[in-house]
Amino acid sequence: MLKDLFVPNAKPRPSVFLTMVACQVLFLLLLWLFYPLQLFPTLGEVLASFKDLVTTQGLIQELWASLTTALGALAIATVLALLISYLTALPFFRPIAYAASKMRYLTLTGLTFFMALMLSSGHQVKLSVLVFGATVYLVTGMTSVILTTTQEEMDHARTLGMSEWRSFYEVVVLGKLDEMLEVVRQNFAIIWTMITLVETLYQSEGGIGLLLYKQNRYLHLAGVVAIQLVILGTGALQDYVFAFLRRMFFPYSELTVAK
Amino acid sequence: MADHLYKEPILTLRDISMQFGGEVILRDISLDVLNVVRPGVSQGQVVGFYGRSGIGKSVLCRIIAGLLPPSTGTVLVADPQRPVCPGDVGFVQQRYPLFNHRTLLDNLLVAAGRKHSPADAKAKAEEFLTRFDLAPHRRKYPAMLSGGQRQRAAIAQQLLCSEHLIILDEPFSGLDIAMIDEVKKIILEVTTLDELNTVVIVSHDLATTTALSDTLWLLGPERDAAGQLLPGATISKKHQYNVADMGLAWQPGIQAKPAFVQLIEHLKDEIRKA
Repeated sequence: MLKDLFVPNAKPRPSVFLTMVACQVLFLLLLWLFYPLQLFPTLGEVLASFKDLVTTQGLIQELWASLTTALGALAIATVLALLISYLTALPFFRPIAYAASKMRYLTLTGLTFFMALMLSSGHQVKLSVLVFGATVYLVTGMTSVILTTTQEEMDHARTLGMSEWRSFYEVVVLGKLDEMLEVVRQNFAIIWTMITLVETLYQSEGGIGLLLYKQNRYLHLAGVVAIQLVILGTGALQDYVFAFLRRMFFPYSELTVAK
Repeated sequence: MADHLYKEPILTLRDISMQFGGEVILRDISLDVLNVVRPGVSQGQVVGFYGRSGIGKSVLCRIIAGLLPPSTGTVLVADPQRPVCPGDVGFVQQRYPLFNHRTLLDNLLVAAGRKHSPADAKAKAEEFLTRFDLAPHRRKYPAMLSGGQRQRAAIAQQLLCSEHLIILDEPFSGLDIAMIDEVKKIILEVTTLDELNTVVIVSHDLATTTALSDTLWLLGPERDAAGQLLPGATISKKHQYNVADMGLAWQPGIQAKPAFVQLIEHLKDEIRKA
């Protein structure tokens, strides 16, 4: 029933829900097509620009270059953040995790300069900036997941005769791996927001961020919108892949979620 | 000939006191739980543990389970007696915690693996699944189990690795009468698994718990000779009740007997006074 769409916590039928989503998308498209003020490029212009970007400017190759860089940075950042977060079990390392978490307030502009001084290649600088940016956000999310561990959970492991390290491994590492994956999924977006900055600083390897920068610089707004939509679509696909991985590897994780 | 006699100690508390930030929570608690032997019967025992909310029952449970070192005193378990370590005493907390990322079978295996070889652990886990009526649910995750199944699983998990002692925190809380009967059956099942098995039930359900118990402890404050309240709660000698010696243990339908009703009324009065 349609009225279910406006009742708190209601569960509308899937067909009703899908129809509602289709209507909302259609409304947005119609708004885009017929909005009287032409501040925004038309749908036709965006599609034409998208075609041009694919055929003459190598949008797919640039997207692939950025995606591989982003995935590489995410993998390294995830390992680093997990290490820093798990080490908070030892009081000695807690200040490091605290400091790492606070570093998300740093601007990357000055940081790239120091990275450039320390590293030899542009690729390394690009990667290290992305890794740094992602790590500090991941550490923040991961340590907050660890902090949700209750006395009851730890006591339960201890009553089974597990040592402190084994209890930590069982309750925090194994028990919260699904939540860590969720933190990684949520923070992957940070890399996409940083990629434009780093790709414009080190242009030799190209990338979709550089392509976006060029479209913006020459005021090709249709091109900007087309690239933004491609990034949006890639992000949505990533989210789907992460959700799929979570369902596959951690089937228990959604059992307690209100539906 | 006496219908029961007492042998070696199973659990000993000596001069247990606990303070948090200078505030005395528990004071001078000394208790002995001895192996009760009844000719021709192989059964463990049940200790009922009462006290007002917030008086320190959970703190004492954590101390007995070896999870919290007391400010003073010692807890001894096993035969020969030795200081308690985490894992010696099973502790089923109120919300029946299990590892949510493991299936039911895995939950039992991880506990059984502590004392047994992998092959024996598998056999033990399977035996407990059958014994606790959980076999059809072995592949389920804890979130897929009902409250009763979860409680049975939590008890089975703790039994698989503890040294005969298990604490149940509020096992009857929020249950209907049919479920209470189920839990009573489980507790009796646990005590019949081994002569030395001892279940400590922390509860506010006096009638149900007393009917199952051999011994009762009542945790409460004490007054000095001048009538002044002493800081911290304790289980004084007069608040350690030997239900077996009173002739009120191990009898079906005991709850209807006047002596039992009198005991319950007395316990209620003592708790109110506290």
